[in-house]
Amino acid sequence: MNRYFREISVTIALGLVLLAMAVLAPGFFQPQPLLSLVTREAPTLVVACGMVLVIISRQIDISVGSQFSVCSICAGLLAARGWPLMLVVPASVAVGALLGAGNGLLVAGLGLPSIVVTLATMVILRQGLNLVQQGAFVNLPDNVQWFGLSQAVGQWTLVAAALVLLVAFGLAMRRIAAGRWVYAVGADAEAARLAGIRPQLVTFLVFVLMGILAGLAATMNIVQSPQVQPMAGAGLELKVIAAVVVGGVAISGGGGNVWGAFAGLLLLACVSPALTHLHIEAYWEKAIQGAIILLAVVADGLRPRKN
Amino acid sequence: MKSPALPLCIVLGLLAAGLAPVHAADAKLVITMMPKAKGNAYFISCKAGADKAAKELGVELLFDGPTDSNAAKQNEIVENWITLGVDVITVAAENKEGISTALRKAQKQGIKVLTYDADALADARSFFVNQATPQGIAYGLLDEAARLMGGEGEFAIITATLTAGNQREWLKYMDTYLPQKYPKMKLVAVRPSDDLKDKAQSEATALMSANPNLKLLMAICTPGTPGAAEAVKQAGKTGKVNVIGLGLPNENKRYVHEGVTESVMLWNTEDLGYLTVYAAAALAKDELKAGATSFKAGKLGAFEIKGDNILLGKPYIFNRANIDRFDF
Amino acid sequence: MNQNSPSAGWKSVVLRYETLLLAVLVVEWFFFYHYGTTVNRKGVVVGFGTLDRQFDILRHSCEIGLLALALTPVILTAGIDLSVGSLLGLCAIIFGKLWREGGLELPLAAVLTLLAGALAGGLNAGLITRLRLPPLIVTLGTYSLFRGLAEALTHGAVTYTDFPAEFLFFGQERWLGLPTQAWLFLLAAIAVWVLVHRTTFGRSFRAIGFSPEGARYAGLPVGHRTGLVYVLAGLIAALAALIYTARLGQAKADAGTGYELFAITAVVLGGTSIFGGRGSVSGTLLGVAAIAVLKNGLACLPVVIRMNAAEEMSGMFTGALLLLALAGSILPNILSTLRLRPQAG
Repeated sequence: MNRYFREISVTIALGLVLLAMAVLAPGFFQPQPLLSLVTREAPTLVVACGMVLVIISRQIDISVGSQFSVCSICAGLLAARGWPLMLVVPASVAVGALLGAGNGLLVAGLGLPSIVVTLATMVILRQGLNLVQQGAFVNLPDNVQWFGLSQAVGQWTLVAAALVLLVAFGLAMRRIAAGRWVYAVGADAEAARLAGIRPQLVTFLVFVLMGILAGLAATMNIVQSPQVQPMAGAGLELKVIAAVVVGGVAISGGGGNVWGAFAGLLLLACVSPALTHLHIEAYWEKAIQGAIILLAVVADGLRPRKN
Repeated sequence: MKSPALPLCIVLGLLAAGLAPVHAADAKLVITMMPKAKGNAYFISCKAGADKAAKELGVELLFDGPTDSNAAKQNEIVENWITLGVDVITVAAENKEGISTALRKAQKQGIKVLTYDADALADARSFFVNQATPQGIAYGLLDEAARLMGGEGEFAIITATLTAGNQREWLKYMDTYLPQKYPKMKLVAVRPSDDLKDKAQSEATALMSANPNLKLLMAICTPGTPGAAEAVKQAGKTGKVNVIGLGLPNENKRYVHEGVTESVMLWNTEDLGYLTVYAAAALAKDELKAGATSFKAGKLGAFEIKGDNILLGKPYIFNRANIDRFDF
Repeated sequence: MNQNSPSAGWKSVVLRYETLLLAVLVVEWFFFYHYGTTVNRKGVVVGFGTLDRQFDILRHSCEIGLLALALTPVILTAGIDLSVGSLLGLCAIIFGKLWREGGLELPLAAVLTLLAGALAGGLNAGLITRLRLPPLIVTLGTYSLFRGLAEALTHGAVTYTDFPAEFLFFGQERWLGLPTQAWLFLLAAIAVWVLVHRTTFGRSFRAIGFSPEGARYAGLPVGHRTGLVYVLAGLIAALAALIYTARLGQAKADAGTGYELFAITAVVLGGTSIFGGRGSVSGTLLGVAAIAVLKNGLACLPVVIRMNAAEEMSGMFTGALLLLALAGSILPNILSTLRLRPQAG
């Protein structure tokens, strides 16, 4: 019980919000709009899975929003040139992997603090993209949206893909040795090294994986509409980090899982549409978001500790 | 320990080698133009017009601004231009009062100041190139909404950020005009999109499901209009919920043809940039003085001047009939 | 990382890092002085090399400089405060509201604003020390909360303006030859420097940053001292809010958006370790100066001006500078490992 305290408390909080919505504004639960909103969060979930790994390994990556934007625009430009999606997706993933590898080399290879490294790469990538793209939208060919399929199929495919990834990560983190290595490195890198794990390699691969997921998420985003905006992904890092820590992933490394992050993401993603349904003025939104983050962590802080 | 110095010196050295020493000895007029946000498609098309005018006039055009709407950064850029000793500064002000301090400083140094798109305080600039008064935009959008809604029913607005200057002003005019002119129309919500198309789409989706009787979505920032249209299309409410808003033709053509978006309003942004540069050059050469009643801008011909406002003319409404004629 | 080096050697490394940063700053300055100064059409010297520009740089860096000062003790204790930019916005609004709607005299409103800042800092402090929550998460929450309150208080719409000239004097005029706010900044810098480097309080910040457990065993009131740095950060953020309001002549809910990242960058560039324990106020000041000169200098380079890319370039170069500084700071470690390796093998 105590082990999953945070995951359970966040899930309860989410349940309470949904229950409140069911009573106060049942219109919240119409299937089609809900599916659209969930589809919009699918790429965020994919990025959040990566962030869970990064934070468990006691690192952080605040450049994910910029990585996402760069991958989106690269994918968009390639698709606009007539590349088939079969090639665009791997290309975007490759770009993401490259960006992640850059972070990984600096963090794992040189032992630099990840928060500062990714702060630097966040700014460099974002401003570089501004310089090249000057904010212009990229118009995509017709067959890109929903993979050229119908909207419903496209939406379900994206949601299913995100959920499959979530489950895969959830299982892999527990059942596969590589997953446990990440926990080991985050909990105590030295102990992990003595146990025969190569902490630097694990950290490097975690960053590469983060980049791959950012690239994948970018393509999951561009197939949702006929245009790409270079600003897509601005502020994504804070949204994802907030969701992950609200979901109980310990910022000091070594603890937490993707399920908690999933609940945290749903909870935070609920706020804005819920306020719209409750007809609460938009200027309360940020304050409420902040209060929810604080409440979630305060609940955790008040829990009795063994030590 | 000395490590950062060496690479840095190399980088700086390379930079130095790559820099041709530039002397502003070429006697070109230097005209600057500041958008509210550089990445905004609206201002990109403004720049296209401005570039054209600069070429025709043989002046040097500097186009710079914040990458996101930011009043403090605008001031810093203006102050930099002052020390660069440019001839004319033209600004689309993110915030009236905020920018005026810096603009007055420029005037004190003998630099001519023009505003376009969004005005500063009247004593901080010589002329305002007025693309449409805030009142005109607010009333125009509401009138178009009323026409489509038959003068009654619920509608919602998607704005940029809650603090964005222009949008605040339009909303202020709408607040007073709406109950007087269209008492049967109800504004159910104003939601921010942070100038992100994706966020506008999510907001529009929630708005439609929260307000089942919604007849119309009005987006008052350019990324918001395609975002709202995509949401309507995905909700299968094409024809039931109309979309109107500010926007560029190229970003909205698809939706206008599909019948999702009824009309997009915009003044001709290219002409706005063109006219602004012409007015700036005339101001610098003392050809444009206070009290003038008309002004001739190159190929575009004469424009009316009312007081200290140079009027670009009415905002343009793009719809299915005419949108394909425009490419910006 | 440095446990094995004796404390004297450690001290000299810090010293050398700062000297190095100073050298970079000087090189940077002369580079921009040389390439960023031109003579314009009317024969007037313009650009980076003018006194006006130098004063502008000072003026523009005061608020971010103050936030960086506020963050230095925080980061020394191995903490972080992401909420300072949002708090700047909230304090600006509180100040405007007290004065305009509360009808208070400006000095009184200013004092209450400083108190409000300290109180908001106290909220961070309470959550971090009493509930033992990670600073990153707490301040991520208050980052959103403070900005949200600023928007809620004004509905995002109200802008407070028309401040009297006596108040604008602090942001727009000069006093004794320097921009007025530079004096306030100097005062704050001296105060923080004395606190961090000349009092036992300051030494305890570093002790806590190195090892909170060790500091606790050494008898330091760790919770109390850690709380103090966040309260101080709130107070300084409120001062920055006043100066921001005076410089722009307006108080609006979006004031200071994104400033926290610039401030953190300056502190880290100044040689303060993000893991705590190591760093100095003078380093932070040099970091602020290096970034400010880079940003303003690039905006004066003809090649950058023609590209219309001042902001993009300054962002990219600041990021690159940060990476270089980081790489530089670990070079001694790498060298010593290389030197050690043959012996170990």
